[in-house]
Amino acid sequence: MTGDDLGALLSRRCPEQWELYRKTAETREIDATPELERAAWRREEGWAARWWEGGAPRFAAASDADGLALALPEAARLPVAADEPPAWPVKKATLAGAASVEAPPALFEELLRAVAAASRGEAVLAGLTLRRGRAEERIVNAAGLDVAQEHHVFDGVARCVARRPGRAREVRVPFRWDSGPETETLARRLADAATLPLSDRPTPFSSGQWLLDPAVGAALLAAIAPLFLDARPPRWVVREKLAGPAVSIADDASRDAAFDGEGVASRRMLLVEHGALSGRLHDLSSARRAGATSTGHGVRPSFRLPPQLGPRRLFFESGSPTPSAALLSGVTKGLFASALTAPLRVDLQADRYEAEFTGVSIVGGRAQGPVAGARARGRVSELLRRIAALSTDLQFFPAPFLAGSPTVYVERASFD
Amino acid sequence: MNWDDDSILRWLEPFGGREGDLVEVFGEALTETCLEWRDGEIREARVRREQGTSARWRRGRSEQFASVAGADEAAVREAVRALRASAGREPLPIRSARGAPAAETEVGFPAAERTARRLAAILARHAPRHVFTLRLRQTERRVVAAGRPASTATRRLLSLEGRFTAASRAGDEQRLFAFHAPMSDEALEELKTALADAAAPRDRAVPVPAGEADAILAGGCAAVLFHEILGHPLEADAGVSPLRALPEARVAVADLEVIDDARRLDLFGGYERDDEGTAPRPVKLVASGLVGSQLTDRAHAAAAGSTGHGRRSGPAEPPLPRGANVVVSGGATDPEEMLRRLGNGIWIDEFLGGSVEIASGSFRLRFPRARRVRRGRFADELGPGVLAGELLPTLEAVEPALGREVRAYRGLGWCARAGQVVPVGGAAPDLMIRRLGVRPEL
Repeated sequence: MTGDDLGALLSRRCPEQWELYRKTAETREIDATPELERAAWRREEGWAARWWEGGAPRFAAASDADGLALALPEAARLPVAADEPPAWPVKKATLAGAASVEAPPALFEELLRAVAAASRGEAVLAGLTLRRGRAEERIVNAAGLDVAQEHHVFDGVARCVARRPGRAREVRVPFRWDSGPETETLARRLADAATLPLSDRPTPFSSGQWLLDPAVGAALLAAIAPLFLDARPPRWVVREKLAGPAVSIADDASRDAAFDGEGVASRRMLLVEHGALSGRLHDLSSARRAGATSTGHGVRPSFRLPPQLGPRRLFFESGSPTPSAALLSGVTKGLFASALTAPLRVDLQADRYEAEFTGVSIVGGRAQGPVAGARARGRVSELLRRIAALSTDLQFFPAPFLAGSPTVYVERASFD
Repeated sequence: MNWDDDSILRWLEPFGGREGDLVEVFGEALTETCLEWRDGEIREARVRREQGTSARWRRGRSEQFASVAGADEAAVREAVRALRASAGREPLPIRSARGAPAAETEVGFPAAERTARRLAAILARHAPRHVFTLRLRQTERRVVAAGRPASTATRRLLSLEGRFTAASRAGDEQRLFAFHAPMSDEALEELKTALADAAAPRDRAVPVPAGEADAILAGGCAAVLFHEILGHPLEADAGVSPLRALPEARVAVADLEVIDDARRLDLFGGYERDDEGTAPRPVKLVASGLVGSQLTDRAHAAAAGSTGHGRRSGPAEPPLPRGANVVVSGGATDPEEMLRRLGNGIWIDEFLGGSVEIASGSFRLRFPRARRVRRGRFADELGPGVLAGELLPTLEAVEPALGREVRAYRGLGWCARAGQVVPVGGAAPDLMIRRLGVRPEL
């Protein structure tokens, strides 16, 4: 069974309403702990078909073409409610020959030393998983689309444990490197997240300014991402005043991949411009419902799932960013949130958020000392409008889509 | 998976030799049907058929691992060839597959259409307005390992998760619901009862007061607590935790007996062979109040060998020591007596999820609702909240009054650690714990 055979099978089932997706991937991974060093090589293959039969959408996936051919009739038998198919894109793009994947570098010892130095010996690297990989995708559909593209990834997860008498803290930090290893930055992040919660100090303020580390800012951005997907935003959203005027938010995955998971060309979407909600993301299905065109945001986190509407590379941007040092000096009394100590909780419908974090207290632009744990909570609407400045240190984090944030300055927040 | 085990063992021969070496081939054939329900209709149906094979060689602190798509002889050859290449062993010759072709497994999940019809009737009656995902999964896993008999294990699981609109005395409200069980006709009957209970009218909830509270964990949901504070810290690769520093120390009342029993095939996490081919044995996590043993895979086994807890989410991942089914032994206290002993506190019969930080032993469990208990009687309905605490003080605070009836807790289903998600289950009696940290959730 080949891709052409599967295309013919799908054409017989529904001559004009089908899409076939194939992914092949190769990854190399090194997983190192003080007790184990594992080298892993993986070859993944995935096939997926989406089609409209009897007026209803169907989806099947398999690890080979023969398996997909067997899954098609099984999915077709299930009683699914009718729905309109999307307007399929038409495009052709081929892929140049592929290179093999190099093993990731062995960085455990280097990061171990860097974490020890950054934490003054209080934190120990407990594990590092580094993965380098390459994936090739091909998407064809009944309308004549035939595009191929490849992705590269260099990412990982680091675990770190910090101890003081009677206390311990373990943290797990996922990361992604776009250019090359950034062990010093990662070491500082691990050391802060693991050691700051071990201090005795609770938050000294019940309110004040709030500086968010890029990792915390990215978590906030990821949590509010549904605002850019829903046809009807929550009632509290005032389009002209979603956020402070210093804030713009964009999604642009064109540097990662030429197409989305449905074969629509990637493009930059400005979603918030100077604080005003200015755009919305679409995949093929949401675009059909809204009478719009897809913005190239049909996301396939895996071949096992049909494409779904989602952000791809979402990030804060500012027309006039402020250096981090200037942001810090502008804090008269407040907290710097270095790392979250629990997943950020956001209820967009109810306009509520709650962030538990560890960090540093700041008075008069100077760091006063660590804060083991603090909690900021309140209205999402107020939090966004109180973002008064963004820094220049934009960093991206896997969230699971890429979310990017610089240091964020919030002019007022309540802490407990 | 129609493998020629003798050939596979021959291909693995270059890796063997030293005591303690682990070398194996693992294969999986998975069939899954996923149905997305909304208000009585299936809005999306997904069928997945996946096969994969991996090969692993471990010597001392070094491990080589290779995984490929497919589970026929050619896939096994490719995985072993990659393993030999990475280990610097003589390459395995490239030959086309021979012998009998791989047997076709049954197309799709055999009971999907019938289950969909029955579920439609259950939902129509008890929760007509809903958004649910039904997952029916069948896996066949085979392990061929040097020096051990080959093994095959098959599991069929049913998992329903989502939310529905239920009536409360203050109007409609959204409630979350999860049910995870091995697939059977009885499971659907149990699901029907559980959904009817979950949809029963309730009073308007008031916020959970923040602070310390004594609590009864009812309906088997104490299994979630022990999964977090005993199961994870006693996984053999968990690293240093407050429990590790106290081998065989008394940490709870002598009445408390907690085991991990993967042999309980009526629970979601059960299996006959683990993913290294080992028959599981029950492991005492707390025995008569004393800290028990670790959950081990082959790589972390002591002299007695693996406890049969080497588990993986799929063929693309190496096995890790993981818990399966946490089972707490029952006592002799009936529910009324337990409420009377509680006096004032909260009563919880459902958790949405939990987490534990191994190094410090701090945990948190999210609950969607609770009941306030005043002077031994049910009072207000309480809104969603978080239970939080430390492992050792919480174990010490377990009261000796354990409920008579041990109930399977079907809300415990999928557990994620180190990027690997495996099915887990549990059963527990009603249980009382003093001075737990409680606070309202968003």
